[in-house]
Amino acid sequence: MIWLTWRQFRAQALTVLALLAAAAIAFLVTGLRMHHTYAADLAACTPADNCDSTFREFQSTYGPAFGLIQFLVIVVPALIGIFWGAPLIGRELETGTHQLAWNQTVTRTRWLAVKLTIVGAAAIATAGILSYLLTWWAGPLDHIQGDRWAAMTFASRDIVPLGYAAFAFALGATLGLLLRRTLPAMAITLAAFVVIQILVPAVVRPNLLSSTTVTFAINQGIGERAHGIEIRNGAAEIYFVGLPVPDGAWELSGPPIQDSSGHAVAATDHTDCFPGFDNPPAQGVGVAAKGTGDRIADIGSCLAKYNLHETVTYQPASHYWPLQWIESGSFLALGGVLAGTCFWWIRRRRN
Amino acid sequence: MNAILQTHALGKRYGKRQALADCTLELPPGHVVGLVGPNGAGKTTLLKIACGMLAPTTGRIEVLGNEPNGTPAQLARVGYVAQDTPTYSALSVGDHLTLGARMNPRWDAKLARARVEQLNLDPKQKAGKLSGGQRAQLALTVAVAKRPELLILDEPVASLDPLARRGFLRHLMESVAENDTSVILSSHLVSDLERVCDYLVVLVSSRVHLAGETEELLAQHYRIVCTRRAPSDLPAGLDVIWAEHSDRQSTFVVRTQTGLPTGDWSAEHLELEDLVLAYMERAVEPGRFTTTPTGDTR
Repeated sequence: MIWLTWRQFRAQALTVLALLAAAAIAFLVTGLRMHHTYAADLAACTPADNCDSTFREFQSTYGPAFGLIQFLVIVVPALIGIFWGAPLIGRELETGTHQLAWNQTVTRTRWLAVKLTIVGAAAIATAGILSYLLTWWAGPLDHIQGDRWAAMTFASRDIVPLGYAAFAFALGATLGLLLRRTLPAMAITLAAFVVIQILVPAVVRPNLLSSTTVTFAINQGIGERAHGIEIRNGAAEIYFVGLPVPDGAWELSGPPIQDSSGHAVAATDHTDCFPGFDNPPAQGVGVAAKGTGDRIADIGSCLAKYNLHETVTYQPASHYWPLQWIESGSFLALGGVLAGTCFWWIRRRRN
Repeated sequence: MNAILQTHALGKRYGKRQALADCTLELPPGHVVGLVGPNGAGKTTLLKIACGMLAPTTGRIEVLGNEPNGTPAQLARVGYVAQDTPTYSALSVGDHLTLGARMNPRWDAKLARARVEQLNLDPKQKAGKLSGGQRAQLALTVAVAKRPELLILDEPVASLDPLARRGFLRHLMESVAENDTSVILSSHLVSDLERVCDYLVVLVSSRVHLAGETEELLAQHYRIVCTRRAPSDLPAGLDVIWAEHSDRQSTFVVRTQTGLPTGDWSAEHLELEDLVLAYMERAVEPGRFTTTPTGDTR
């Protein structure tokens, strides 16, 4: 059975191996040059002076390639699900070859176990290698950007891609078995993967671990913390933007300033502090920014008497690895459940 | 009783569709059994249950004395060539032989190689590039070289041209004759089976309407042509299977266990095909041939 699985999978495996080797060489060549440039730039610039412009230049050099590569690493688990998972059983059922395989002296449970194990392991290994290469390659860029929580970044670094690859593969295989056709299984795998890539960063990931909320009282002291003030949504919401969160934290939400009962405060309610807001502006306006005098502190001290506050919710930096483990572990487990479904289904001998 | 296949009230339902219902059947060993019936009679379903591809919804089945349970021991004893003889189109002929060798402990590599040579198949040829006849032969080779005690073939020649059909059936006969393998072969064409089967089962709407050794069945059935009369006017001991009446003349297909008594008729034996068709027609319209002929004539 191992022989048959390998024989069926050989061409694809060798193609992917060749692509991986080419990718590794490309990563290595460009990566070494980039790391070298980065080290040189870092040594040459002084933070107070020209580091920002040096880094901007660095980013504009490598940014386009970086975006493309990161996108590819995100997409690879989907491709694995579509091209390795969906046809794994679906094509056999579609062409009837399962009838040939199931009538050799090998139980269909073993047939399924070998197929899922060999191709599944290849899927996880492929995603693992690509993720490792990207995580290394993009190190300097990630450092400059300083946001490893971005949806695309988190999902394409470290161990999360392995979980996604296992899940997408098992999803494709299960759909192929249930639908008995390859093409619909491929399409649904892709659709499900896209939905997951949108839902997980937006809805699931922020809530996997309890987040931290800090509250800032609105008074004169806010002037030193906020970068500016913005009025949005007509004049119904006031934001003190750029309120500080700890280094490396993932800022999840920053609602507008509220009064003590938790209601958002409109600029029109406090025209003593926001003169000229009797008529709400059509679009959001920045009414103050750092570096333009003491306006933030002034407005803050003006608002102090109303007992207002603004909150910021974030995942601290220390949650990065726990979240990586939880997310990859969850998708690995989901993949396991799907594989279990395959075994259950195939043993019921529905085919 | 060591029947190769024994079913009792076997049934299979897909949702609302009843593919096989209340099928009771017993096949003795050592035969090439032809399973004939119109499309939709349940032949494929019955054979799939027999090789363990499907689980029945109701009833019992034993194949070679065991329930088809999908264990390696049972799988090794039963060979199966599915409808349209599927093969892996991306794998070569040689790969298929390796597949058989790797997946079957009783694999007969010598036999497999000899058959492929005899068929003039290039071992490097991809199965997807083979003709329908060659593909069927390859599927048969894999099934035969596994050395099963029972070989089940579901409409193996349905899609083949007459020449490929004949070649396939000849190879089938050669292969099973050497090893004393029992064979069950389904078809909706009697002409295919006539050449190879020494046991016949007519299955219509899941029911067995006729079962027995071909020679015996042929010996027991007659077509008699006589002056127009009702079936009840025929002597006792003649089982009327089929009847046709014209203005003056009646034609009957009758079965008798004791030999045909002489009478005022002309009698002859039937071709297997006519015999089977008579049973199929009777199965489709029960009662039509046993009632007294009315005014309508043909």
